[in-house]
Amino acid sequence: MTDYLFETENLTYSYSTRQPRPSLDSVNIRIRRGVRTAILGANGAGKSTLFYHFNGIFKPVSGTVKYAGKPLDYSRNALSELRNDISVVVQNPDEQIFSATVEEDIAFGPMSAGIDKEETERRIQDSLFKVGMEEYRSRPTIQLSYGQRKRVAFAGALAINPKVLVLDEPTAGLDPQMSQEVIELVEQLCVSGTTVIISTHDVDLAYAWADEIHVLREGNLIYSGEPESFFADYSAVASAGLVLPHTFSINNSVQGICGGRAEPYPRTNSQILCKMLPEGSRAGKIRMIPVTDSVPDSGDEGISSGIYGSVTRRLFKLAGREPDFHFNAIEYCLMEAIGGKDSVLYFDAPLKDRILEIIGRMEAFGRKIEVVM
Amino acid sequence: MTVIQTEGITYYYEGAEKPSMDGVSITIRKGVKTVILGANGAGKSTLFYHFNGVVKPKEGVVKVMGEPVSYRRKGLRQLRSRVAVVLQNPDDQIFGQTVEADVGYGPRNMKLSEEEVKSRVEEALFQTGLGELRGKNTMQLSYGQRKRLALAGALAMKPEVLVMDEPTAGLDPQMALELMELAEQLHNRGTTIVISTHDVDLAYAWADEIHVLKRGKLIYSGSSEDFYRNPAEVHSTGVMQPSMFVMNENLSAMRGTDPSPYPRTESQLVSKMASGPKGRLTLVAVKSAADCNIERFADGTKTGVYGTAVRRLVRDAGIKTDFGFNGFESCIRECLAGRDSVLLCDEDCIGLAESKIRDLLAFGSDIKYTISGPDGSQRLS
Repeated sequence: MTDYLFETENLTYSYSTRQPRPSLDSVNIRIRRGVRTAILGANGAGKSTLFYHFNGIFKPVSGTVKYAGKPLDYSRNALSELRNDISVVVQNPDEQIFSATVEEDIAFGPMSAGIDKEETERRIQDSLFKVGMEEYRSRPTIQLSYGQRKRVAFAGALAINPKVLVLDEPTAGLDPQMSQEVIELVEQLCVSGTTVIISTHDVDLAYAWADEIHVLREGNLIYSGEPESFFADYSAVASAGLVLPHTFSINNSVQGICGGRAEPYPRTNSQILCKMLPEGSRAGKIRMIPVTDSVPDSGDEGISSGIYGSVTRRLFKLAGREPDFHFNAIEYCLMEAIGGKDSVLYFDAPLKDRILEIIGRMEAFGRKIEVVM
Repeated sequence: MTVIQTEGITYYYEGAEKPSMDGVSITIRKGVKTVILGANGAGKSTLFYHFNGVVKPKEGVVKVMGEPVSYRRKGLRQLRSRVAVVLQNPDDQIFGQTVEADVGYGPRNMKLSEEEVKSRVEEALFQTGLGELRGKNTMQLSYGQRKRLALAGALAMKPEVLVMDEPTAGLDPQMALELMELAEQLHNRGTTIVISTHDVDLAYAWADEIHVLKRGKLIYSGSSEDFYRNPAEVHSTGVMQPSMFVMNENLSAMRGTDPSPYPRTESQLVSKMASGPKGRLTLVAVKSAADCNIERFADGTKTGVYGTAVRRLVRDAGIKTDFGFNGFESCIRECLAGRDSVLLCDEDCIGLAESKIRDLLAFGSDIKYTISGPDGSQRLS
């Protein structure tokens, strides 16, 4: 039996009785535990409204919401228990930050969950570290920039150690590197067992990241499943206010010109390029060096290096070491490899299996990339 | 020709430790599609506030059309009719009670005749697709609608320079494409467009020239490629290389070919990747719904729209097209795959489409096209 984290049955919600159509209209959505999930849809499709049902802020006008198999209980105690499991980070950080200083704001969640002082302190440190905001710990929240407030809101959610993290447009308004950092952090959370649900307008990001997508259109759920079957139906994509991810569209175009099979569908640039590699070209190797508490001596003279994971990132920064690929490093190392060049990837040790899985996928696109541990 | 020029401008906000703008000398050239890049907090918005005189530099000079900005009331009013800045957050900019009143606010302030105000409001509402919402209370608008309203307010000023801070942030992908298409048309009609964005893919596809800010300093002005070719510098500015750039670099390395010419659009990249028989593109110049008799084309021929007016027209007339947005790229995708396609264009988009088709030649794709005029005339390429 599939392990559903959330299940809604005919979930209907309207903000007011005068709305021409409900904001959510008989939505039956099933979110699976441990599955990287993206919710897509145009502005006003109902994504945020749906998220507010996951943590019980909204109660359906009709229909039910189940969490872990049980209908939500909207009593005060049950809700605060629910919110120890589920963190929703809303798009606009100002709707989420209430305290005067950064540390107070992050402590708010753990404290209300009755967590002791010592543990709360540990979580403040840990979550600020993860979002790269340690130096801002005692800053007044009103002095922070938009990107910083966005990260504080994220840290506040992390401090609860949620089983489910729901992120509404986590990268909107962030600069490209910050966006990459957020995505990397999300990966780390997934690997450590958190179920992450993201809504985003960035179809390229969703396509590269998600195992399963759910698409909302004017309050209706119009698709649930793997991304490819949805994007293959162009008129559905268009009517949902979306566009095709670049990799999907480029792959289709090339296949349309050259013939051949559209499958397997590349979701990343390295996968597309791999599909196009000339026969018989030699692929480079990726040396993988796990990092736990110190930066290993460099054995990477003459080849490009990348870093992946927040611990590795921090240790490199402290040691003043400059890798070639600070962000999106797995992708860059893979591109080096298909270009015939060796590279080295320093990574947080717990991410090993995930990285091997990503590298292993290249085989389906025509080239086995050799890994040296 | 230069439209805006700053000379060593420095600015610090009250109580800040570091200046937000630190000796910036930037030149914005007329008719050049310009993008300002930089991390959050690099100074992009602060720079924009200098362009329309909201902020006066503590040191240095801002010149608009060669003249130093006058910070007197009258000077500022004049300045803002020439340089319109659309802020990232529309709520910082919307004051009117109704949509119509808000759009009319700027032109009325310019003391234009009521007739002129009305005609400008109409045009701006049309361009942004807000016509049906004209009487609506601005408090009741969605984020995407407020974002378009803020733009409409700027358009009603008929500015020579339109500056947009993160114009696509928070918009869904189709709205973002529509907005960029409008920007392209405005550019084509002679407005100088300056945008800031975190979307490097969008910036790369669109910009003729980029300027990169880092902690209040201008560290780069020039072509996108020369900037992205230097990964260490790119990294130090909080930016990432655009996906298209990375793909092309690696594709070229893989094949041992020169990375130039640099593709900036999907059709350009695909042209470099693969080649086959091409379909023909028919460009239809549309003035009225009658020009859209797409039934005359073979069954299964895909149709797209290109231009703000034709999109509105097709929607209002209930004409079904296949590509209601991103029409040019989508139709070219059809042609590259060997299928004919039809692009319904605003009259001023015909020339744009032609020049984009010409650009594709350098990437190895020669797309034949027919221009079908509103008078029924046909012209073959």
